[in-house]
Amino acid sequence: MRRAWERIRELVSYRDLLLNLTAAELKIRYRGSALGFLWTVLNPLFFLLVLAVVFSMIIRFQVENYTIFLFSGLVSWFMIQQTVIIATASVVNSQHLIRKVYIPKLIFPISSVLARYADHAVLLAVLLFFMLLYRAPFTWSLVLVPYILILHFAFSLGLSLLFAVAYIRVRDVQQIAAVFFQALFYATPILYPIEVLPERYRALFLWNPAYYFVESLRWPVLRGAPPPADILLTASGLAAATLVLGFFLFTRKERLFVFYLS
Amino acid sequence: MSRPDTDQPAVVFDAVGVRFLLDPGPAVSLRRDGLRAVAALCRRRRKEEFWALRDVNLEIRPGEIFGVVGGNGTGKTTLLKIMAGIYPATVGSVRVAGTLAPLIELGAAFNPEMTGEENIFLSGSIHRIPRREIRRRFDEIVDFSGMRDFLHVPVKNYSSGMLIRLAFSIIIFFRPDVVLIDEVFSVGDETFQQKSFEKILSFREHGATIVLVSHDLNLIARIAGRAAVLSRGRLAFVGPAAEAVIHYRNLLLRGEGLEPVWDGREAFAPQPGDFRRWGDRRVEITSVVFTDADGQPQTSFRTGGYFEARLSYVSRLEPGAGRPVFGVALSTAYRMLLYGPNTRDSESGLGDGGEPFPRQGIVRFIVPSLPFFAGDYLFSASVYDPTLSIAHDHHDQMYGFRVEDAGPREFGCVRIECRWEVEQA
Repeated sequence: MRRAWERIRELVSYRDLLLNLTAAELKIRYRGSALGFLWTVLNPLFFLLVLAVVFSMIIRFQVENYTIFLFSGLVSWFMIQQTVIIATASVVNSQHLIRKVYIPKLIFPISSVLARYADHAVLLAVLLFFMLLYRAPFTWSLVLVPYILILHFAFSLGLSLLFAVAYIRVRDVQQIAAVFFQALFYATPILYPIEVLPERYRALFLWNPAYYFVESLRWPVLRGAPPPADILLTASGLAAATLVLGFFLFTRKERLFVFYLS
Repeated sequence: MSRPDTDQPAVVFDAVGVRFLLDPGPAVSLRRDGLRAVAALCRRRRKEEFWALRDVNLEIRPGEIFGVVGGNGTGKTTLLKIMAGIYPATVGSVRVAGTLAPLIELGAAFNPEMTGEENIFLSGSIHRIPRREIRRRFDEIVDFSGMRDFLHVPVKNYSSGMLIRLAFSIIIFFRPDVVLIDEVFSVGDETFQQKSFEKILSFREHGATIVLVSHDLNLIARIAGRAAVLSRGRLAFVGPAAEAVIHYRNLLLRGEGLEPVWDGREAFAPQPGDFRRWGDRRVEITSVVFTDADGQPQTSFRTGGYFEARLSYVSRLEPGAGRPVFGVALSTAYRMLLYGPNTRDSESGLGDGGEPFPRQGIVRFIVPSLPFFAGDYLFSASVYDPTLSIAHDHHDQMYGFRVEDAGPREFGCVRIECRWEVEQA
């Protein structure tokens, strides 16, 4: 516990670096591209467009306001999947630094996750735009959205820490994670409502952690109501547990990282 | 920022050891190893290990310039990196009081895609320098580095010299308590080296501690108060810098670090298969002995005194073959050649006389007045064919002798015949 506290205090003393690395990651990615930062929006937007066309014109689900349904699910999904896939490699990608100066290793996954959430902020703005466009219900339940975003952040950071530790030893982890997320994408009710499955199979979703995050964002955005307590509580529990587990595993192993980087 | 208490040591090593696993096995790949990779990860691996540092106990006092010398691979850089927190101590503990400026691998923290200006702020934050402090001293940093015209150029387009100058300028402008220096001065142009060196020495006036790793023994002897000698990851000596340098030179001559051989007092019979020896052996040098004027074997000589090397040989040359050429070479302990004469161009009686070359004998190389100052020297002996193109037997820096200090000292290692004149202009 004392070690955890020390780590956190150290992180605070390195806050300038954390912000600089986050900014550097954002700046460099789009340097030299004509549309620059716009790609952050355009990419998922095109994906959404394709899905929207396919699923509202070709295969139809009985869902009211399908665009918002789809987009709220996608935003939640992207916030987890995109973040974790990229942040997994964050420590290894910074090995030139780790081998030459002392920096608390937590800085790397955290700045990588922060940079992703800066991207996601743009997605959220687009979501807001669609909500206005399609006249989604604006109710008080939206005040829960910041808390729900924090849950997404904590969960994806926790997963990133766990995956980053594994990735240092086994470089296949990033590929495995990509395949795993791809499968999970279709196993999560993002494109389709949970009702398409016969009732007796629906319990299977309860084993899918992503389900709780997708649903908790979707309730206030699509239905103008706070998410059911069990969904929100489970999401909170998952986020906290993953973050704590990731933090402790990462800080336990970080001393040895330098020996595994080459 | 409060200075650490002056009674407290600036750096403390407490029984420190650093272990590297020679193959820690990061390269486990599922594609290659399949399920065996999983098994390999689960197994507790007992790999070959290597202790880069062992049992290091050391206290460096605040305000001290502390030198570290040792051959390649003796743990000098590991010592610095462990102080800088880059490597963790496998056993024991290291404590550093106050802020630390590691001048190790300068410029490593730069992001190549970012401009010089952006990198100043990035490096500053790596060393936990507050942003407003960087902004306040920004112009000083830029002026000292001389990089003003390149501030908006990505540093990937900088030369390595430019990188070092910028990196150095950033770190030294923030009055660190402890400065770690690893051969920094070997890079950059002369003026900048001088400028940075003065800057570093000026830290001491603010009470900063400087730990300096260098191969330059003169530098260590000149500016360091105390120094440590590392040998195979252990501290072989800690004490006054001048003594440490002598200690290190002894180690060198005993075959550590640069690996020359010191044969002691005995005439030395070279081992076959020694990589420092080559040639067709049609003439073979069977021993090399250093003697004084009375012909007594010696290993230690005095500046201005008599020096002689006796090269015993056996010849298997057929009669009528040209006379072989003997040569010697005198080098410093750092393998810098000082003088390399041979018998071809000298009046040695070996020139090209008509009489047949003796089948065995002794060739004497005599220096009536040795012009070397105190230190350790390496000696090579060789014999070649008359055209100097075929080596019969070459012993490269296989021998060593020492010159003891004699009388007032001038600087350098060789005395040159010279005089001074002063004229009124």
